Amino acid sequence: MKLARRIRTLWSLFAHFARPSRFFLLPLLVILLLTGALLAATSGLSYVAPFWYAIF
Amino acid sequence: VARILGISAHYHEAAAALVIDGKVVAALAEERLSRVKNDARLPFRAAHKCLELGQLRAQDLDEVVFYEDPFERLERVLVTSLRDYPRGAAGLPGIFRSQWGSRIWVLDLLAEGLGVSRRVVTHRRHHHCHAASAFFLSSFERAAVLTVDGVGEGMTTGLFLGEGNALTFEECLTFPHSLGLLYAAFTAYLGFEVNEGEHQVMGLSAFGKPRYLEKFARVVRSFPDGSFELVPEFFNFQGDASALYSSRLEGVFGPSRAYKREFGPFGEDGFEDPDSQRFADIAASLQATLERVLLGLCRRLRTKTESSHLCLAGGVALNALANARIFREAGFQDIFVQPAAGDAGGAMGAAILGSLEHGDPRPAPLDSAALGVPLDEHRAVELAEALGLLVEPCEDIAGAAVKQLQSGNIIAWAQGRSEWGPRALGQRSILCRADLPSLRTRLTDAIKKRETFRPFAPVTLESEAPRYFEYRKNSMTPFMTTVCQVRDPELALVTHVDGSARLQTVKEGNPLEPVLSQMSSKGNKPVLLNTSLNGSGEPLATTEGDVLGLFSRTNIDALFLERYLIRRPTR
Repeated sequence: MKLARRIRTLWSLFAHFARPSRFFLLPLLVILLLTGALLAATSGLSYVAPFWYAIF
Repeated sequence: VARILGISAHYHEAAAALVIDGKVVAALAEERLSRVKNDARLPFRAAHKCLELGQLRAQDLDEVVFYEDPFERLERVLVTSLRDYPRGAAGLPGIFRSQWGSRIWVLDLLAEGLGVSRRVVTHRRHHHCHAASAFFLSSFERAAVLTVDGVGEGMTTGLFLGEGNALTFEECLTFPHSLGLLYAAFTAYLGFEVNEGEHQVMGLSAFGKPRYLEKFARVVRSFPDGSFELVPEFFNFQGDASALYSSRLEGVFGPSRAYKREFGPFGEDGFEDPDSQRFADIAASLQATLERVLLGLCRRLRTKTESSHLCLAGGVALNALANARIFREAGFQDIFVQPAAGDAGGAMGAAILGSLEHGDPRPAPLDSAALGVPLDEHRAVELAEALGLLVEPCEDIAGAAVKQLQSGNIIAWAQGRSEWGPRALGQRSILCRADLPSLRTRLTDAIKKRETFRPFAPVTLESEAPRYFEYRKNSMTPFMTTVCQVRDPELALVTHVDGSARLQTVKEGNPLEPVLSQMSSKGNKPVLLNTSLNGSGEPLATTEGDVLGLFSRTNIDALFLERYLIRRPTR
């Protein structure tokens, strides 16, 4: 799994956003990562399309 | 002692640059090998070619430096998405997909693609890389440095001071207030391709008059301290590249030009059709606005740094007209703009910053752009013969070229390693005499297949430049990053409609120097038209295969490839 090899990047990503001045961005970052996970799991954006307007 | 590979990618032209022990060994844009114009993908071909030229394996690298902080860029994207919500909501799926797909993971992808440990892959900030590429390749010991482009992380404009081996950040302007994005938005509005058509807009500006300056003042607010702001309502920078402006911009300037629509014929008083003239006037007003704002920034930087020298970098630094005006009016003694001032140049800056941090010396001043792929003569001869071409070895290649040029022929010229940057600078060029205007139609229609309003550039000996051009010695003309007014009316083929020319000056060491010297000694003007060796929409020819392929499918009269004269058989 590529994700396992990308721990360094994930750690740097959270380290970047884990500062008080950037806390307000965390919800959006979580959505980004969840969306990414959904895309990775379903291998395509078309599967996500029905949920998109429910999210936004 | 370090071996550092710099990488730029993802937005405009991707590139790789290799610095070993403080020496720039190789630098190459990915498009030159992939043959995809402005190829923005991670430049693995270019990186491996740089390693081959440096006789290194990827595992030998001490550091691979990417030219941008991917997390800071992500932060800017998230902040902008929140700020613009719900206006930019339609673009969010694309943003999320691109960020998740590759941009967040760029350092991992580089490690995986190059086969190096993730530990050695790092990043530096975008505008610092631009600034480093400009200052550390200049011959200046102390200089003000201005970086101006679309956007890198959050910064759009950076003011720095370079001294010796150090680069000090002074101040910056941030997104969305960007001269690069302003120019890109109007490039789209004027019907050209963003990231490719900006130089066409610059060329078009000479055909217009700046009649829209008041309207531009509503779109770009500039302040007495040299700073500026774009008025956000007129732009849509979160959308795709073809629609970087909002409908309010069309409300002010009128309907936009359809993508790549033909321009009408040009008469004595301008374009005959009023719409074409309106677009030329808008381009002229855009250019004037850009120059005015850049002048304000440069004057501020000069006051702040008290430096007599200036280095420019970033995509906007490829605007040769603006560079010339800054040289004339901003009060600097000399200005340096490296040949790949755009995003490709970020790779060079990244590698240099890495090298300096490892304790290596500052690179020598850049005196040649020949940092790319060399030609393989033997393979070229085999290919040429397989294509049925006549191949003739020449002892005096410059003399043979001069004979062709004297006869009024158009020649292809491929010598040494390919150029770093978008301009043909004597390594991969199409050449002809600059005092034969009758060649324009052949060049424009049959060989280059490009718009008639686009100018061709001249090349001359540095020592002869003042005779033919209003030339003051500077560090830009060796890399064709500025313009001069033409003095000699016979050089019509390389004189733009406003009387200017994007001049290249050469001296000993450039492969064109012996050709120009022989032109002069044989009683001809030592001024040639020098345009890039490529077809329409193609990257500059790089390998012997690219060069011979282009020669075979165009009607260029002769090809000079290293020590060989190559011609078509007479029918």
